[in-house]
This record gives sequence, structure tokens and C-alpha cells, in this order.
Amino acid sequence: MKSKKLILLGVFAALFQQALFAQEKLDIQFGKVAASDFDLSSQKFDSGSNAVIIADIGKTSFEGNRKSGMTMIFTRFMRVKILNKNGFDIADNRILLYHNGKGDEEKITELKGSTFNLENGRVSEAKLDEKSVFTERYDKHRDITKFTLPDLRQGSVYDITYTIKSDFFFNLRPWSFQGDYPRLWSEYETTIPPVFHYATLMQGDDHFDLKTSKDVYQHFTIIVNNGTEADDFYELSGDSRQQRWVKKNVPALKEEPYTSSVDNYRAKLSFQLHYLQWTQESERHDYLTDWFKASEKLMNDEDFGMKLNHDNAWMSSDVKINTDDCKSDEEKIKKIYAFVRDNFSCTSHEGLYAQSSLKDVYKKKAGSVAEINLLLTAMLRQAHITADPVILSTRSNGVANQSYPLMEEFNYVICEAYSGDKKYTLDASEPLNGFGHLVSDCYNGEARIVNQEKPYIVNLSPDSLRESKTSQVFIVNDEKGFPVGSFETTLGNEESYALREEIKRTTQKDYFKKLQARYGADASIENTGIDSLSHLEDPVSVHYDFDLKNLLSGDVVYFNPMMDEIYKNNPFKSSERHYPVEMPYKMDELYVLSMDIPKGYIVDEIPKSAKVSLNESDGIFEYLIQKNETNIQMRVHLKLNKAYFPVADYPTLRDFFAYVVKKENEQIVFKKIP
Amino acid sequence: MKKFLLASLCFWTVMNSRAQSFAASQIPDSLKTNADVVIRLEEKVFEIKSPGHAVIRERHVYTILSEKADDYATYKTTYDKFISINYVNAVLYDASGRELKRFKKKDMQDHPIEGEGSFVSDDRYKIGSFYCHTYPYTVDFEEEDEKNGFMHIDDWFPQPSIQGSVEYSKYTVIAPSDYGVRFKMLNSKITPAITEKSNKKTYTWEIRNLPAIEEIPFSPELICYAPYLMVGPTDIDVEGYKGNMSSWNDFARFYGSLQKGRDMLPEEIRQKVHALTDAVNLPQEKVAVLYDYLQKNTHYVGIQLGIGGWQTFDAAYVAHNKYGDCKALSNFMVALLKEAGIKGYPVIIRGGRDHRDFEKDFTNDPFNHIICCVPLNKDTLWLECTSQYLPAGYLSDFTSNRYGLMVEDNGGELVHTPVYSLADNTQFRSLSARLDAEGTLSVVSNTSYKAACQDPINSFINFRSKEDQLRVLKSKFDLPTYDVTAFDYQQDYSKRLPVIQESMKLTVTNYAQVSGKRIFINPDILSRSSTKLLEDKNRQYDVEFDDEYIHVDSVQILIPEGYQTESKPADIALQNKFGRYSTHTEVGADRIVYYRKLEQYSGRFPGKEYGDVVKFYNQIYNADHSRIVLVRKN
Repeated sequence: MKSKKLILLGVFAALFQQALFAQEKLDIQFGKVAASDFDLSSQKFDSGSNAVIIADIGKTSFEGNRKSGMTMIFTRFMRVKILNKNGFDIADNRILLYHNGKGDEEKITELKGSTFNLENGRVSEAKLDEKSVFTERYDKHRDITKFTLPDLRQGSVYDITYTIKSDFFFNLRPWSFQGDYPRLWSEYETTIPPVFHYATLMQGDDHFDLKTSKDVYQHFTIIVNNGTEADDFYELSGDSRQQRWVKKNVPALKEEPYTSSVDNYRAKLSFQLHYLQWTQESERHDYLTDWFKASEKLMNDEDFGMKLNHDNAWMSSDVKINTDDCKSDEEKIKKIYAFVRDNFSCTSHEGLYAQSSLKDVYKKKAGSVAEINLLLTAMLRQAHITADPVILSTRSNGVANQSYPLMEEFNYVICEAYSGDKKYTLDASEPLNGFGHLVSDCYNGEARIVNQEKPYIVNLSPDSLRESKTSQVFIVNDEKGFPVGSFETTLGNEESYALREEIKRTTQKDYFKKLQARYGADASIENTGIDSLSHLEDPVSVHYDFDLKNLLSGDVVYFNPMMDEIYKNNPFKSSERHYPVEMPYKMDELYVLSMDIPKGYIVDEIPKSAKVSLNESDGIFEYLIQKNETNIQMRVHLKLNKAYFPVADYPTLRDFFAYVVKKENEQIVFKKIP
Repeated sequence: MKKFLLASLCFWTVMNSRAQSFAASQIPDSLKTNADVVIRLEEKVFEIKSPGHAVIRERHVYTILSEKADDYATYKTTYDKFISINYVNAVLYDASGRELKRFKKKDMQDHPIEGEGSFVSDDRYKIGSFYCHTYPYTVDFEEEDEKNGFMHIDDWFPQPSIQGSVEYSKYTVIAPSDYGVRFKMLNSKITPAITEKSNKKTYTWEIRNLPAIEEIPFSPELICYAPYLMVGPTDIDVEGYKGNMSSWNDFARFYGSLQKGRDMLPEEIRQKVHALTDAVNLPQEKVAVLYDYLQKNTHYVGIQLGIGGWQTFDAAYVAHNKYGDCKALSNFMVALLKEAGIKGYPVIIRGGRDHRDFEKDFTNDPFNHIICCVPLNKDTLWLECTSQYLPAGYLSDFTSNRYGLMVEDNGGELVHTPVYSLADNTQFRSLSARLDAEGTLSVVSNTSYKAACQDPINSFINFRSKEDQLRVLKSKFDLPTYDVTAFDYQQDYSKRLPVIQESMKLTVTNYAQVSGKRIFINPDILSRSSTKLLEDKNRQYDVEFDDEYIHVDSVQILIPEGYQTESKPADIALQNKFGRYSTHTEVGADRIVYYRKLEQYSGRFPGKEYGDVVKFYNQIYNADHSRIVLVRKN
């Protein structure tokens, strides 16, 4: 047996200075529940909630293991009070445990749970029994442990605690201070030996009630099996950094319409391994880098860039067939893009890495978004077009960290192709995308070109996306004097995409049947058509003729000139708002109407023209209407100049739309000439 | 070298022969009309080796004509610990029948089935897909499964979707000669060919050339009119539990035998039962007290394991954990009742809001849920043991008005759950509102919901937090821009039929359109119909209304001074076999008074009366959306 003593890095003078400030600690222990613990009347939390988390305390530390390294120990303690019967769901625990399929796995140990009930002033306890804990396979690399607590009632308090041991020190467990239920106390503590250096990332509200940091002296024994019967022992000691974060009285997260992902607002800490260095003398392994290095690493990754570097000559004949008659690079890009989009199915719109080889993707005619757009990139390069993969985090996935290149925060791959100084941002995974169009879920801020020399940002801000829609209505009196008209609307990219998708599922006939049902007896429509459905690059336009035979049925006739393009109700329903409004794009809607005054009638009343702006320059609503002897002309323009509105702007935004709704519901009144 | 050549040649010919038969060009035009997919060949053999062992072989060949049927290129098969999948072979052919690709069982993805109401279960599925963008193409799936213990024999539903035509479909059941196979054919006169050879009896059903069906709105489910064969087992043997399924009585006896001895209560619970009920006289009240105890002390957790999810966790398990699935909670309830000297029975039932025809004279297992029935002298009490919120004796529309199988001590019988009638299901709403000169309406709404009308409100208030309720109320109404400033719900469970009182205050900005000299206002504030129907002159299928109820609205709106009526909706009274609807509108000097009553009847009506249905609902829609026009006095 050999023993080696090593001096760890990071022994500072600070070691001798005890942290002198008083530590506030929650006096709470598993299983120790007194009658007084049931009373939360002195606590401040949302009383409308179904359950409240009294304490959620997590700790991560390290110990030496027998596998030449260190094991991460995560312990969790949680105390919850069920406020009413709808809160039982909180006790359905699901814990995912990772394994790499090579024998390394996360293990759950010391799982305990107890439910406490207060009966006639006495506390009773029901313990979670082992038989009621179920573990099953979840997916290829994960198992799931499930359990719920026994004897839950309205007013129950329960405790759970467990430990997870893990050798995957890339994944230091993150901590959410916020979730579906309010928390009175949420705490995380990490004790990290100086071997490991993590970058700490905070999102959401960054105020902590307590935040401390100190050094603690620790001793580790690492056993290395050297292939003989006698193991090598390594003794390590030195100062570990202990950090602790506490948040008190954290409200629950609430879903709201017009947010890209409520997760962006969750108060959460996560950790990224920056570098690892066993001793002062040993080599430093860097993990967290800049975009140049990250791009290089990604380009050398077997499941990403290497696929582009492989000899992809097998595709050359197909590339040639597709591009043979092309006269310019731009034409080539268009041809190859359309080929990939139209011939490959996307099986998953989630994921950064390509599991299959491009050849397999090609043979299977299907792949994930990463596989399809890497294939597109490879085919473009095969045709001697400069093209790079671009990675991004979709709106529903949340905003990626701005300071570090953290690959796990990205979930989507697209492609940037170049022809001269022109750039094209392409996504061939969506069969209804026009050339250069992306679905709005991709518009989530900064996307990143994966190129080790030029890892530039592609700006995909929703504020850069304008959704323009133009509708035109002409109403004239036919030879018999009845009002008849024509309607035509040209949709923006998003709405065009949605309509193409709808028609793909159903038929045009169904679409117009539904439209006719909306008009009911007010108008009957004919000569219907939808243009550019298959010209994916162009916006779709919908047109039809209609007659308003039933309009002239009395001496006084009321007519809403907005037809089917009306905002009947305010899209911002709720009067309250917790998070900013994040619309997927800037809207721009124009409605133009020209109408003959019905024969035998005069205009008795007509809405007043109006023009309002939203916060001076954020948006505008124009409602212009005028009449002459025979005709009414109208022009309604609704335009927002940005897609993002902070919470403080919500009331103004809602009032603005309240006004839009009011104006658009106004009527023209015609009176019969006596 | 020679060997290799031979092998590859063989492979080539096999491939070729298989392929030739499925060239898309062979499909007759009649099968392409209205079709997105043609079921070229479907064969299933359900071979009963013994009451506890069956082997199922199946083959499905589909030619997919358009992208709307791409789902048919995905093969999904479920299994649990009683089923082993011996193999899956899948092949993709192009239009000419040339093989393009194939996959096997090992290539398929494997997932647990996790659904609503299920927390832990044995069920898993395997899934695999082909991706082809050149239409038409053909897929060919073959599978063999082995079942150890089965309680039902697969149905045969040769045309499962209106988008598909059927070229050929065949179902074969093979059983030992002395094994009774039961079957019933619905919506068709096809009879089986029966042959017998070496102690095996073979039943074969075949069908050819069914064209696809054109989509018709509001038509009943395909299962109500397309050929559908039900097949049922007689003797069964699951993990040593033997039984018979020939009759409802046998079915109930078998189910009962699985639960034998699982009703033992721990001593403390028995004492609790006596403490709660010994002093109570009336059996109805004893039931109510114990049901209340169950509701307060247990809740539903979906843990479905073992014997096809049929064997309950025993009463002691529920007593300790205070949770269980529907059968465990019903079993526990029956045990509590037994301890109090009252006989209660589990009832196996199909829960759900959709009503299906029930084939009383054919015993099989269309069920998915269990409730509890307590027959008392003049009164029978029904208990939904998974609900914490229903009064004793009331069933929601999840289980009311249908057949269930009551499990008695040694057998059982079909029973019918309570029907709640027109007079029971009521919603009375009274609104008192004030309109200001800008068009803003302040509303005080009081509504009383009873029986089936309170079912959705019951879920709403009991399954959401107060905060969440407010969030929903603030966005659910069809009103321009509004806010809910106060709300409250009171439940009254003192009678058999539950009642919920709702009170609510709303402020609606721009509810009325105020122009230069006119005000346009709709007096129907919260009950406007959203059903607008289109004529369909060719309708063949029945029209079905499941629910019956009465909705009454009585509205009073105070209006700004200085206006007189320019026009108001005419009063309406409609009556026919679908329902009854009337409105009455009065405009006085300072107020609008509006009354609306809708009676919806339940029933099934022939398709040729659909025109009347359209007319009725569109008249209601138009009346509900009519406005009063007030004009300023000069």
C-alpha cells in the first residue's frame, strides 16, 4: 500500500479568517414534526394555493471513491404542507436517474418519507414503505423512481429525504428556487473541493435572503485500482469552497398567455464545470470556454461537426442531379434546400446532436432537426457552397445563457448558407417552410454559427420579424340593387404557414364551409379560392365573393364594416400580469373597405374616425372612415412596432386593444329613404 | 461462393414474389375514391392453445395514397408482463412493389405507457415508422405475440377509419374443439366459416372491397355502423386463477374470485367503523358517514399492476397508505360497509362522458372503471369511491345513465346506474347589471347549478386553487374586455342531488357599442349559444343528444337616461322534439328586462331530421346574438 499526500490548490490566508457573520439556519429535521409545525398562520404565502413547500433544502458535496476519482453526493430534504385535497398531486414524486450504459450510474439511497397528521392535538406518523416505491425504465439512459406519500389528508405535513450519488461531475445538480407551489424556504448549499471549478449561473429574480461563502477544510481518500491486489491510496486535503443560497417566501410560477417560456422567469441556479485540476502540478482540463473553442469542439464532435468532415462523396451524384442545371449559387442553394425539405421527414424537433450517420439519415429519409439540417449543410458543401450549421434555443426551450457557450441549453439546429455577400438562414426540417423562412419558435434572440473561425451571432429576435396582413373588401350594388362584394386577404408568413398546415390536414372545402358557418345567414360566399398554397416562398391569399342579401331587411339597417376581420374580444384577457408580454412577432394588419351605399338607403350614422398610438411609438391604431353621396371608404391599420412589452406596459397594451375592440365593433347605420 | 449465390438468389425471388402482389397499380379505382389509404390485406389469427395460453399472428398491408395517411406507416404494439412479442417484421415497398426498407422488433423504440389517471403501471409499447415521400407506397407489418393468461379475445373491426378502403380482411380464431368460442357480429351479416380438424376448431370471417366513406359532419362514430365483430372467451386461466366468461354472471364470479380475502381491515379501522356507525340508526346514514370517512381519508392514485389490472390491492394496503386506484378504493369501501353490517357491491363500469351502445346480450369487457353500489330497502345508493367531492348516492355524468356489472358474492348481474332527468339538471341564472353612457356594463351574476349542470362546476372548483379559478374566470367569457372583481361558490350537498351556487361580479368595458346617437346592446350577457350549424341535405346518420337540461336566464339591465328604443329582438317561442326555447325582451324607461329559457331534450333522431336540428340551433344562435338598439331622444 502506497500513500501519497498532496497539497491542494487554493489555500489562502482567508482560511484563517472564520466567517464571522451570523448564519441564519432553519431549525428543521426529518421526522421531527410537532403540533405547532402544522400552524402556518404567521407565514406569508399565497393562500389560494393547494399546497405549500415549507422547506426545500439541497446540498451537494464530494467524497473520494474507489474508482480513481470523486463522487458527487446530493442530498435533499423537503417538508410540505397539503392545504387542501387538490394538493395531493404534489406528493407524486418522480426522480430521474441517469446511467451511461457502461456501468456508471446515478444511485438513489436513503430514501425516506413520512406523513404527519394532527389528530386531537396529537401528531401521528405514517411511514413510506419500501413496497410502495416503484422504479422502472424511463428511456435508454434513464430510470425513474416513483412514489407517493401514505395517509395524505387535508392539512397533512410530509417530509421526504433522499441522497443521490453520482460520478457525472459535469452535471452538478441545478437548483430551482421556484416552481408550481409557493415555497417558504428554499436553500441550496454546495461544498466543492478545489479540484473542481464551476461557473455559477443565475436566472430569474436574483435576490437572495441569505448568500454566504466560506472555506471548509476537507480530507479525501481516493482509491485507485492499479490492476494488482493492492490498491493505491491517494490522500487529498485542503480547503473546499462552501456556498449557500437561501430564498424565503418564493411565490409559485404562473403560466400566462403570450410568454415564450415561463421557465425563463424561474429563479434557478445552475453550474457549469469550468476546469478541473487535480493538483497544482497536474494538467488543467478546461471545459468552459469561449465560442471559438466551443465551435471547434462541436465541429470535432462525432455527433455533430465530424459528420460534415467525413467523406460525403456518396451524396455527390444526387447533389449533382439536383444542381446540374443551376446557373448561380443562389439557385443551387434553393434547389438543395427544397430537395432536403421535400424528401426527408423530421422525427423530432428537439436536440442538438445527430445520433445517426448522415448516410443512414439519407437512407431512412428521416431524421431529427439536427440530422436534417446537418445533412442540408453537408449537401450544400458538397455542391461547393459555403454553409455552416447554426444552433439555437427555441422559444419554448427558453433563452440560452448569454455569457457562456453552454451546449445543453441549445435544442435546435438550422443552417446558414452564403452566396457572395448574401446570407440565407435555412431550416429544412419543416416541410411547409418557404426558402429563408423559419417557424416563429426559432425567433428567440441570438442563434450561433458553429464555425471555429467565425462563430458569429445570427440575430433572430421576434422584434426583427414582421407579420403583415392586408385585407381588401369591395361592396357594390348589383343590377337588382342588392349589395354584393369581394373579399381578399394576403396573410403574413406565420398565418400563411398555419393555413397551409390546416389545409394539409383538412381540405379547402372544409375551410370555406367553416367560414360560411361563421357568416351564417349574414352573407353567402361563393367563388372561393386560396392562392399560393404550394408556393411556399409566397404569402397565401384567401379570396371569395359574397352577397349580403339579408342585409336590407328593414327600414333601419346596421352593418359592421369589419366583416370577418374583427377583433371581437380583447386578446389580453386578464387584467393582471406577472411576466412580460412576448409576442412571436411584430404585427401589422391593414384592412381596406370600399362600399356602395345600398340603393334606396342613406347613411344615418357612421363611426367616427380615430387614431391612437401605443406609448407614442410602440404601436398605432388608425380607424379612418368617410362617406360621400354614394360610397363609404374605410381604412383600418393596426401595427405594433415591437414584440416584447415589459410588465409595466401591460395595462397600456390591454387598454390599447380594448380601444381596438371598441372601435371595430362599431356599426354603420343605414336608413331607408322614405 | 456457390452457396452465397444461391442464398442471394433465393432472397431475391422471395422479395420479388412478395412485392409483386402489392403493386399500387393493382388497386381498383373504386377503392381509391375518398381514400387516403387502402387496406390491401389484413389477417389476424387468434389461436387459443389452452384457457391460459394464446398465440396471436397478424399481418397488415397498407398502401398509402397521400400524406394524410402517413400515420399508417407507423407501427405501434403494446405489451405487459402477460404478453411477449415473438417478432415484428416490417417492410416498405414503393408504388411498383419494390422493397425499399425493412425493420424488426429490435429496431423499434420502447416506451412506458403513462397516461392520465395512471401513475404506475406495467404497460409498455414498441413503436417503429417508415418515412416515404413518394406516393403511393406500401407498408407490410407482421407480428406474433404470445399471451399467458387472457381475459378477452381481440375484436375484429375491418374498417377502422373512414379514410381507408379495404381490399381484403380476414379474422381467424382457432380453439381446441371443446373450447367454446362466443361471438356476435354487429352492423353486418357476415358469418364465419367453421372447420374442425385434429381436435381444433377454426372460425374464419372474411370481407372484401369496402370503399372508403366520405366525411359527414356530426355523424356517429364509425363503430356504430361499420362491420364490427365481438369475440369472447369461455374458460380463462390467469396466473392460476381459473374462471369462465360465458355470461355476465360468470364474469362477475371470476372477478369476485380474484378479490377473495382482500377485504380484511386492520383492527384500528374496524374500531373506527364501529365508532362512526354504531350510534347511527338509519342504514342510509351509516353509508353516508362511511362514504364521508372514505372521502376525507383516501384519495385516488393510479397504480395498476398485476392480473391485467383486475386484482385489487387489499384493504390493509389502502388502510395504511390511504390511497388506491378505483378498484382498491371500491374494495376498501365495501369492506368498511361490511364491518358496519351493510352489504355493498363493486360495480364494473365504463366511465366516460361519451355514451356508447351497450351490448347487453354479449358478455365481454368494455369496462375501465369500478364504482360501488349499496342496495338498501327502498333506495339504492351509488358511490364513486375515487371522488372526494360528490355527495353520497350521486354519480356524475362520468358513470350515470348506463349499464354496469355488479359483482355479488358468487356471480353477479347487469345493473343500470341512475338517470338524471330534464327537471334535475338545471341552471338558473339571474343577472342584474348597470350600463353607463360609455358602454361599460357592471354585472352581478347569481347562478344555481344542479345535478349534471353542476358536474363541470364541481370539477372546476374542486380541482383548481382559488387563484387558478380566478385566472380562468378572467379569461373564459365571450366578452370584449372585462374583469372579474369578486366571485364565490357554495356547495349544497344536503340533498341527493348536489347544488352549487355561484356569485360573481364583472365589469365589462365597451360591452355596448355607443355611437353618436345610438347604443347597441345584447341583453344575453353570459348564455349566448356558440353552436352554428351548416345544412347537410344528404345526411344518413342519426343525430344524437346525450344530455338533457334546462337553462334559465333572467336579466335586468339599467340603462343611461335619455334613450328610447329604436329596435328590439322579437320575442321567440320554439318547440320541437329536440327542445324548447323562448325569449322575452322588454325595454322600459330606465331598464331592459330579458328572459331566456332553453330546454334541451336527449334522444336519438333519424338523420333526415337533421335539417330541423340545424334550423333550431341556428334560430337559437341568431336570437342569442340579437341586439337592442337604443337611440337618443331628441
